[in-house]
Amino acid sequence: MLAIKDIDASYDFLQVLWGVSLAVQEGEFVALIGPNGAGKTTTLRTIAGLIRPSAGQVIFDGKSIKGLRPHEISRMGVAYVSESLNLFTNMSVRENLWLGAYSIHDKERREESQQFVFQLFPRLKERAKQLAGTMSGGERKMLAIARGIMSCPRAMLIDEPSLGLAPHLAHEVFQGLLTLNKRGVTILLVEQNVHMTLEITSRAYVLEHGRVVMAGPSQELKQNEHVRKAYLGI
Amino acid sequence: MSSSTIQLPRVRQLIKPSSHKNTPAWVVGLLSLAVAVLIGVKGGPAQLVTTLVTGGMWALMSVGLALIFGVMNIPHFAHGESFMVGAFVAWAVFTPLNGYLQQHPSRFLSTVAPFAGIIVAAIVGAAMGVVIERVIFATLRHRTKEGWVMNAFLLTVGISYVLTNGATLTLGPDYRGVPQYWDVPPLQFLGIRLTVDRLAAFIIALVVIVTLWLFLQRTSTGRAIRAVSQDETGAQMVGINLDGIQTLTFALATATAALAGASLLFMFPAYPLVGLNPLYYSWYVVMLVGLGNVPGAILGGFIVALFQTATQQFFGISWINVVPTAIMVIVLLVAPSGIFGSEVKGIQEQ
Repeated sequence: MLAIKDIDASYDFLQVLWGVSLAVQEGEFVALIGPNGAGKTTTLRTIAGLIRPSAGQVIFDGKSIKGLRPHEISRMGVAYVSESLNLFTNMSVRENLWLGAYSIHDKERREESQQFVFQLFPRLKERAKQLAGTMSGGERKMLAIARGIMSCPRAMLIDEPSLGLAPHLAHEVFQGLLTLNKRGVTILLVEQNVHMTLEITSRAYVLEHGRVVMAGPSQELKQNEHVRKAYLGI
Repeated sequence: MSSSTIQLPRVRQLIKPSSHKNTPAWVVGLLSLAVAVLIGVKGGPAQLVTTLVTGGMWALMSVGLALIFGVMNIPHFAHGESFMVGAFVAWAVFTPLNGYLQQHPSRFLSTVAPFAGIIVAAIVGAAMGVVIERVIFATLRHRTKEGWVMNAFLLTVGISYVLTNGATLTLGPDYRGVPQYWDVPPLQFLGIRLTVDRLAAFIIALVVIVTLWLFLQRTSTGRAIRAVSQDETGAQMVGINLDGIQTLTFALATATAALAGASLLFMFPAYPLVGLNPLYYSWYVVMLVGLGNVPGAILGGFIVALFQTATQQFFGISWINVVPTAIMVIVLLVAPSGIFGSEVKGIQEQ
């Protein structure tokens, strides 16, 4: 459903991605792991349309979305939750959620997703009137994911949701993602917490130095010698 | 919010300047109050009325400036030219109408004619905004965002030159005004003589500001405008078309400035440089309250008008530009981000 083929991408003169290819099937929960600076975030930003690849194809639902602008890709049903979250810090939680549903014009669907996200992250309901910028890190992560869900996406690209979170909060966020995936949302997850990620995802890609070096079912990768040494510290 | 037990970080909130921390806002607020009382005592209520009328107009001009800076990061120095165009358009529409009405008197038409001029001015202003944004700023934006604030600033200065000189070339340097919009005797109360024109200018400013405010706060498009001013990338991520919002913002701001120029035609006759003073004053306002702070700009419009009236009252009219400028210098030294602070990604970040 979502695929990139032989993507090259660079920031100015620094090339970050070298012929990266990956594919995610409808309803799958796939992880993209790798060390800092490997190009994981760049990959997600390229799919979201925030970076234009210099070569290769980006395909969603059988159509090429390469070169489309970010808001067009978002409206097609690909929600991107960035590492820096990009929340509207001076607006309330509720307003952030409303803006998440900016391109959804059906009122009932908006209400439905709002109820769903409040169910998923009850904390957000408690803080509905609070300004997003005054919330704690964990709450902000939840809000960013919730804002993504509000656009009723078919696929979500989520960057480092557990970064900087206390273990129990990270757990809460991961549980939320699992529930979301069970509802049929395809998820491509970038994570540093490799152990937990391989537990909950079905497949994973390993990205190193801007190249995909390994791919396979998460359970198999967990047994892999290189992954165990480099990422699981075993 | 009662459920929140965590210590809130120090984020300056819009409209509600956090009461205990924001000293500059309190100093300016109390100072304004004192000045208002002084003016009321010494100059009588008439001076306070003048303050309200002028303040409404500065607020109208400054809101546009704040929006343009907040949403597009453009320090707009051609904002006065929108005022100028509005004044010319209103004059061009109202004068022939008025001539016709002299020969064919009609109470109803005389009441409506000024509004025709003002509304057409706002529409022309909006159209001008769309053209300038699409042709100039969108083109620059798509090419590069490097050095954006400086480049955009230079462009606005260029636009200002072209428009003022273009007006001089085509229309000449003459003053074109109207003695009054509504030819009716002034209202008298509390010993004040208030012409209907001034009252109308104040009401128009108020209605437009309130409408704009409700639009920004309550509608989905208004919320999108605020979203772009807070996080451009975030706005794109939720499906907001940046180009559309930026063109809309620019058009709105240009239209309100043109509307201000049109509704003040009886006070400031149209001529090529008529926009300079409104431009300076709206810049005083946005620098005082913090660049890009829209609710602050509304309040600031009245504060600056108050200082203006006070200067006129206590120092004489020749000091009228000196005192606001001096206050500006002090504000920049003491509270460089304005008394209410600004929440937008600003020059500092670029």
